[in-house]
Order: sequence, then structure tokens, then C-alpha cells
Amino acid sequence: MSVRNGILALLAEAPRHGYALKSEFARRTAGTWDLNVGQVYTTLARLRRDGLVEADEPADGPRNLWRVTGPGRNEFATWLDTPVDDAANRNELILKVLLALDGPPDRFRHVVNRQRVFAMERMQEYTRARPALAAERDLPDVLTLDALALRVEADLRWLDRCEERFADREREASGRGSR
Amino acid sequence: MSASSAVSFERVERVYGAGPSATRALGPLDLELAVGEFVAIMGPSGSGKSTLLSLAGALDRPTSGRVALRGVDLATRTPGELATLRRRSLGYVFQDLNLLPGLTARENVSLPRELDGVSMAVARREALEALEAVGLRHLADRFPEDLSGGERQRVAVARAFVGARELVLADEPTGALDSVAGERVMRLLRERCDASGCTVVLVTHDATHAGWADRVLFLRDGLLASETRGSARLVPGV
Repeated sequence: MSVRNGILALLAEAPRHGYALKSEFARRTAGTWDLNVGQVYTTLARLRRDGLVEADEPADGPRNLWRVTGPGRNEFATWLDTPVDDAANRNELILKVLLALDGPPDRFRHVVNRQRVFAMERMQEYTRARPALAAERDLPDVLTLDALALRVEADLRWLDRCEERFADREREASGRGSR
Repeated sequence: MSASSAVSFERVERVYGAGPSATRALGPLDLELAVGEFVAIMGPSGSGKSTLLSLAGALDRPTSGRVALRGVDLATRTPGELATLRRRSLGYVFQDLNLLPGLTARENVSLPRELDGVSMAVARREALEALEAVGLRHLADRFPEDLSGGERQRVAVARAFVGARELVLADEPTGALDSVAGERVMRLLRERCDASGCTVVLVTHDATHAGWADRVLFLRDGLLASETRGSARLVPGV
């Protein structure tokens, strides 16, 4: 869905050729989201089938100049206006921690620790990329790094919370056992 | 302990109180921080972060074990020698800035050097260079109350690195700053660490700040729970 709407968004700005869509998509997402050309044309074909974009030529090909239709513009506006509900997405980290919860305590702590170190190393990677930005003037790059870093930070805080609640549960259990 | 070790902890323990009410704040802990390394310490409240920083900064003594800076066991030093070490070789950036309100930014930065016996002319030049490095030379004659929170913290960073410091200790240095000003302070710590070859130890709750470090240590209940792999980039000779 994101790729489809992303392409629609770029065509709502200006008509573009397929390859230009691929380059512009990568540029605007600060290189974090690279589409292959096949993916671009497959998406364009579906958008045309649904009446959301049109092209000069009936056959799909590199010479085609693509533009958004009226319904396509409406669909883009609706997408932009609809909040993203990430909570509805299934999250492997949550699943992994929840499934480790009722196993041996050491295994649970190991899972949390491994994930914490991994997340922190990701954070270091994103932070190291910052000084290379030209005085923070490249806003798409800066905002992308902010988004990635803050998501990792959220994971790290959640892992801390998991560990604290797990420790509370262990303490309560040992308190009950010793009574 | 390797020759490139800036700080080394050998079986270090810090226990407060005695008898049944004794509380172990840290350890036993073995740790090596390399010269030029930027290390962040994270962990929940009471995990021993600030205790570790105080021991590394010669502000406290361990109950048992050995803390060494550049191979020198701090237990072998007199209080006077430790005071000289703190003044000459260590820099501190704390949340509570401790900038003297009656002195300008430049005077705050040059003060530790003047106390160290460096001539006023040299101390003044070094202070201006240090302020230049944190982008504040143009505000050198302002008093702390005429600076923003971010600018005051940058003065504190300049002061911590002025002269030939070997180790800079920072405890939650971004305090109440907003996220953009906080990031600027972290970037400065990183730049000053790289430019000076000095070792930096940062205590923080903020993972986005710890991300500037080469290595991140996670403490829990006074012990090292886990750590990221260190970057070899800033550890010459290792």
C-alpha cells in the first residue's frame, strides 16, 4: 500500500516517467526505500487498471509519461488525511518477547538483552550517519534518521519496561513462595 | 591492564553503609576504557551509573578493588595529588553546570587553567580556542545569565575540554535542554572527543544520546548486564 500511495503522491506533484519515479522515490525517502524498476511498472499497471493514473501510450514501457487522474488525486488526498495505525501491524519483537515470557527466566533476560544490544547498535549506526549530513540542511535525510532513531528508542524503552515488569513478577512470586 | 587503557576497574566494589544495612551500589566490576574511547553508561535508576562515574573521576574511592587511570592506581595517591589530577587531567560536565555567575563565559573556561598555574595570557588564549571549538567565541564576554541553557551547557563542554585533559566525565549533561539543543551538546562532546583524543564517559538515560558513543554499557543492580561491541575506530594501537 505504501509504495502504491507513494507513487500516486509523486504523480500528483507532476507527470513522470517510470524511471524518474524510481529515482525520485529513493531521493525523497533519503535512500532508505529503494524500489526496483519492475516494482514501479507493476504498481503503475495496477494504478492504471484502477483508473487512478493514465499514460500517453496504451502499452506499459519506459517511454510512457504517467500522470494522475481525478480519482487518483482524490485517493491520494484521502490517504494523506488518514492517520497511520502502526499499532495494528504485527510486530515480531513483541511476539518474541511475549513467547519468551513463560519460558526459563534466564532465557527471557537473554532475549531482552540481545535485543537491547542489537537496538543500541542500530542507534549508533543512525547517529554515526548524522555528522555526514550537510549541516543538517538536508531535511528528508535528517527526518528519516530522526524517525529511525526514535523508533529504536521506543523499542529500547519498551525492553526496559519488559525487564522491570518481569523482575516485579519474579519478586512477587518469590515473596509468595517464601511465605 | 593494557597500555592503551585510560581507565581500568579491577574487581571494583562500592558498598554504602555497613553491617546489615550495607547497600552494594556497584560491583564487583571489571572494566577497561581505552584512550580516546567515548563510552556511554545506561541503566535504570540505582543501577550504579553515577557511582561508576564518581569512581572513574576520582571523586570517590572503591570499598574494594582497584581503580586506575592510565595505569596509575588511585589508591596510591594522596588527597592533594588526587585534587591536582582532577584539576589538570579530568574534565566534568554535569547537569548542574556549576558555571560561576560572576564570571564571563571566557573566564569560566580559563579559570581551571589559571588555578593550574598557567599564565593568564595562555589561559585566555586556550579559553577562546575552546569557546571557538564549541561555536561560542562571539559570546565569550557574556555572563552565564545572558546565555541560553544550550549555550551555557556548551560553555561547560568547552571548560571540560580546555587544556590537555585525558578524561571527561559527563553525567546527564543535557539536563532540561530540548531535543535539538541536547543533540547539539552531544555532537559537541563527540567532536571534542575525536579532536582531542580524550576519553569520554557519559551517563545518560537517553538512548539517542548514547548513540553518539563508541561503546554502550548497560548496568543493572550494580553489574554489567550487557554492552555493545566497541568501535575500533577511535582506539589506536588496539
